[in-house]
Amino acid sequence: MQRIAHTIRDGVGFDVLLIAFALFYLFAFAGLPILYNVILSFQQVDMFSLGSLFHEITGWENYVAVFNDPLASRVFWNTIVFTAASVFFQFSIGFALALYFNQRFPGASWIRGLFLAGWVMPGLVVGVLWNWLLSGDFGVINWVLMSMGFIDEPIFWRSDTDYSLIAVILANVWYGVPFNMILLAVGLAAIPDDLYEAASLDGATTWQKFWTITLPMMRSTIGAVIALGIIFTLQQFDLFAAVTSGGPAGSSMVAQYWSWELSFRQFDFGRGAVIAVMMIVVVLGVAAIYVRSTRQETRL
Amino acid sequence: MTDTRLRNSVMLAVAVILAAIYLFPLYWMYVTSLKTNSSIFAVPPEFLPGAPQWETYSLIWGESNIVRYLANSLFIAFGVTLVTAVVGSGAAYVLARYRNIWIDVALFMVLMLQVLPPSLMVTPIFVAFTSLGILDYPRIGTILAISAKTMPFFIILCRAAFMTIPRELEEAALVDGNSRIGAFMMVVLPLARNGILVAALLIFMQGFGEYVYSASLIADNRLQPASIGMTNYLQPNVVTWNAIMAFAATYVTPILAAFVILQRNIVSGLTSGALK
Repeated sequence: MQRIAHTIRDGVGFDVLLIAFALFYLFAFAGLPILYNVILSFQQVDMFSLGSLFHEITGWENYVAVFNDPLASRVFWNTIVFTAASVFFQFSIGFALALYFNQRFPGASWIRGLFLAGWVMPGLVVGVLWNWLLSGDFGVINWVLMSMGFIDEPIFWRSDTDYSLIAVILANVWYGVPFNMILLAVGLAAIPDDLYEAASLDGATTWQKFWTITLPMMRSTIGAVIALGIIFTLQQFDLFAAVTSGGPAGSSMVAQYWSWELSFRQFDFGRGAVIAVMMIVVVLGVAAIYVRSTRQETRL
Repeated sequence: MTDTRLRNSVMLAVAVILAAIYLFPLYWMYVTSLKTNSSIFAVPPEFLPGAPQWETYSLIWGESNIVRYLANSLFIAFGVTLVTAVVGSGAAYVLARYRNIWIDVALFMVLMLQVLPPSLMVTPIFVAFTSLGILDYPRIGTILAISAKTMPFFIILCRAAFMTIPRELEEAALVDGNSRIGAFMMVVLPLARNGILVAALLIFMQGFGEYVYSASLIADNRLQPASIGMTNYLQPNVVTWNAIMAFAATYVTPILAAFVILQRNIVSGLTSGALK
C-alpha cells in the first residue's frame, strides 16, 4: 500500500494514474456505447422497453428490416454522392486557395486567416444561413444565378427532390473549405524554396514545377487531408437537420441522418443501431488507414 | 520595382474579393437581421441595409427566450470544457512524455475515438443513459456525452503543447524535492498554458454550438441550448427571416469575436494538432 502511494507521489504511478483516468472515461462514454450499440442492433427497442438496459433479442430481424427498407438503396447512394462530392470540392477549392495565398504578397496570411471564420461557426447556424441563401422565391443565390443568366426560373433547392442533396453539399463545401485550405497551406509552407529555385535555373515552367515538385512533396499531406475530409463528412449531421431534414421524401437522406431519424423520430432504436454499427465500421476503417499512414511519416 | 508593387496590389485585390465572396453568407446574416419584414423579400435583394431595424433584436431578446437558451449553451460549454480539460490534460502530458509501444497503442485508440460520428453514437448513449437514470439530469448527461467526443481532439492538441517543454525543467523541479504532482502543477502546466488555453477555447466553441447530443438527450424545453432554440424557428413556410438571422447573429457574434481576437493562436493550434 505504501509502495503504491510512493509510486504515485514520486514515480511512474503518477503517469499511469493520469492516463488511466482519461482512458477509463473514454472507455465508459465512447468504448462501451460502441459495444452496447452492437447489442442493441440485435434487439427490439422502442419507447416502451426503454427503461431496461437489456431487451428482447430478435436476431438479425433489424438488419433484414433495414436492408429491405425501400429507402435503403437511396440512402446508400446518397451517402456516397454526398461524401465524394463534398470531399472533391472542399479539397479542390481549398487547394486552389492555399496555392493562391502561398504566393507572397502583403496581407496574404491575414486574409487567409479570415476564411477560418466559416470553420468556427456552429454547424447548425451554417445550415440555417444556407437555408436562407438557398430559399426558392427570395433566396439571394437564385437571384444571382438568374440575373447572370445561368437559370431562367428559381430552383427550389430544399423542396425539389433533384436538388435537395446538392443544397446540403453546397453548404458542406462552404463549411469545409477553410479547414482543407489551412492544412494544405501548412504542407505548402514546408516545401523548401531551394527546390523551386533549382527548377527555375533549369528553366522549368510554373506548370512543370507544380507537377514535379509541389504535388509529389505534398503527397502525404494530401492523403491526410482527404482522409480527414471523408471522416468529417461522414460526421456531418447539423447541416441536414437545418437545411432539408433528409427530405423531401428521403431525397437528401444519408446514413448518419437516417440512423438518427429511425431512433429519435420513429423511436425504433434497434434499426437506428443497425445503421450506426455499419457506419462506425466504415468510419473506423478510414481512420485506421489515416492514422497508420501519418504515424509512419512522423516515426522517421 | 513598380512591377512588384503592381503585382502585389493585384494579388491583394483578388485576395480581398475571394475573401468577400467566401464571407458573404455571414454578411448576409447581419444585413438580413437589420431589415424590415417586407424588405427581406425585396426583388432584387437589397444588398445594403436601409435604416437598420434594431427592434428585431429587442424583439428577439424579449420574446424568444434567447437569454435562457444562451445560458444553457454557456452551461453546457463550460461543463464540457471543464470535464475535457481536467480529464484530458493529464493524459496529453503522459502521451507526450513517453515513447513506447503502450503509448502508441493508447494514442492510436485516442485518435480512433476522435472520428466517431455523434449522430451514430447518440442511439446507444440515449438508451443506456435513460435506463441508468442519467437522463434525469439531461444537461449533465449531455456534457458527459459531448466530452467523450471532444476529449480526443483536446488530448491531441495539448500533447503537441507538452512536447515543446524540455524534460530538464521538470527534472530540476523533482531534484528540488517536488513530488510528481507538484512538478506537474507548478512547472509543466504553467509552461504549457498557452497551448492548453487555445485547445480549451476550441472545445468551448464546440460545446457552445453543439446540436446532436443536446437535441437528442434534452427533452425539457427549459434546459435546451441556443442551437435547438434556433431550430424552433425553422417551421415550414417561415417568413420571419430577419428574426431568425437576428437570433443567429446574437448566437455567433461572441464566437466570431473570440475568433478574430485569437485568430493567430487558433490557426497555429489547429494546424499543429491535425497533422501530427
